[in-house]
Amino acid sequence: MLEQQLINGLTLGLIYALIAVGYTMVYGVIQLINFAHGEIYMLGAFFCVTLITAAGLPFYVAMLMAVICCALCGILLDIIAYRPLRRAPRLAALITAIGMSIFLQNLALIIWGSRSKPFPRASLPAYLSEQALVMGQVGLTWLQLFIFAVAIGMMVALFLVIHKTRTGTAMRALAQNRTAAALMGINVNAVISFTFALGSAMGAVAGILVAVYYNTLYPTMGYTAGVKAFAAAVLGGIGSVPGAMVGGVVLGVAEALGAGYVSSLYRDGVAYAVMIAVIVLRPSGILGRAAIDKA
Amino acid sequence: MLELNRVQAFYGTIQALKDVTLTVRSGEIVTLIGANGAGKSTTLMAISSVVAVGGGTIVFEGRDITRLSTDRVVALGITQVPEGRMIFPALTVLENLRMGGYLRRDRAGLRADEEHAFQLFPILKERRKQPGGTLSGGEQQMLAIARALMARPRLLLLDEPSLGLAPMVVEHIFAVIARINTEGTTILLVEQNAQMALQVAHRGYVLETGRVVMSGAAADLLADPKVREAYLGDGT
Ligand SMILES: Nc1ncnc2c1ncn2[C@@H]1O[C@H](COP(=O)(O)OP(=O)(O)OP(=O)(O)O)[C@@H](O)[C@H]1O
Ligand SMILES: [Mg+2]
Repeated sequence: MLEQQLINGLTLGLIYALIAVGYTMVYGVIQLINFAHGEIYMLGAFFCVTLITAAGLPFYVAMLMAVICCALCGILLDIIAYRPLRRAPRLAALITAIGMSIFLQNLALIIWGSRSKPFPRASLPAYLSEQALVMGQVGLTWLQLFIFAVAIGMMVALFLVIHKTRTGTAMRALAQNRTAAALMGINVNAVISFTFALGSAMGAVAGILVAVYYNTLYPTMGYTAGVKAFAAAVLGGIGSVPGAMVGGVVLGVAEALGAGYVSSLYRDGVAYAVMIAVIVLRPSGILGRAAIDKA
Repeated sequence: MLELNRVQAFYGTIQALKDVTLTVRSGEIVTLIGANGAGKSTTLMAISSVVAVGGGTIVFEGRDITRLSTDRVVALGITQVPEGRMIFPALTVLENLRMGGYLRRDRAGLRADEEHAFQLFPILKERRKQPGGTLSGGEQQMLAIARALMARPRLLLLDEPSLGLAPMVVEHIFAVIARINTEGTTILLVEQNAQMALQVAHRGYVLETGRVVMSGAAADLLADPKVREAYLGDGT
């Protein structure tokens, strides 16, 4: 029972973590809470399903293409909505982010309708829904293993990009001091675009995994997931990438335990309670160290 | 090499630069001195295109760079060591240096220049794995200069390299500045420490509330009674 809750919590938590890194990276480089990030996550799921049903692509190919499309959407979102406001007061960009979130949600409603759709399971490799591991009462499906592998793999890859590549280092430099980064010859806008692309790609993967896991997708799915992932990013210390990863997992596990042992009605409440507790007790988050740990 | 022609700059409605006209010739050390708030940093930031130029022109090696983006200016060969050093506190010393060479692709040259930087400032080699933010003020200034040199600039802009440093460290930094210049880099040096700056420079300009009010050979400025009274603490 406990083990099963932990496994479910971990699955959910890894998905939150994937979304949360997008919030935290963008916050790190331009100090903006990109509220439209949840909508990119939603678009990931819809692009993937559309590519499967309308274009007849196999699941893995559709997933890859949907992720690339979302990376481009993220770049576009920044160029169209946020770049013109780079020198404006932060509140202007924040309100624009909320506006873009509402806009994208409604665009999805127009294109795909308001009813939730099932994921086209026929396109999935059959083994994904089989049990991979059964130990007594505890079971782990191949799908859960797939989610673990993809999520952890992406986070390791992200870590390597941020810490071992020239552009990743430029991203961290930019987060620490934008003027100094520009004085190094770093094309600030290009690095910001790169950040949006990375974060959006991770968010899109999360959206697809969730749609498969719960077998459903709908235009407003980005809202709750977005708020939870944002909570996870705050929990870990906004601006800190490892923090977002840890925050996501902690939140997912807390939620699953709360839902399992108290009442599933409290599922969402647990997330907010945890976030409020962190803000009261340790405002910089679990791994936040004021400004020094950015990106 | 560099010509500023009646350059103006604004922060909102405040005019920080009213009329800055100056020339830096290839191979020189030129210093720009002036009181707090005179517009020295703003002049360097205007050259680097961090601050938008509101009027006038900036020409580098015959090319108008007035409205280029900052990264384009760096690519043309102008690198700045900004006031307050602005090193990246959470990047290691080595990563800071790598960012200095961001636009270069010649791995072998970069490696050689890293070694050269460590030769100029041996302490940086000891600290190369440490986050930049853990260095002392003097070490941070050394890192900021070393980082700028990684770009192999033809023109180096230095903003108050002596600020807040112990006299011994200042001596060292100025010796390095002279050495960098003899190795072929042209330098535009902004300083509050006018004495040191005029000793190392070939020529100088005096800036007062956004305007160049005096210029000449460094030795002449050093001997000028007005300069001595205003900037060298000769109150008598
Ligand atoms: N970001 C800013 N916003 C508004 N005004 C500014 C800003 N930066 C500088 N100023 C103003 O512009 C003028 C010139 O400033 P600048 O920093 O160029 O002077 P400075 O000669 O470098 O002085 P210091 O010796 O203190 O470094 C000053 O009056 C200053 O108050
Ligand atoms: Mg200054």
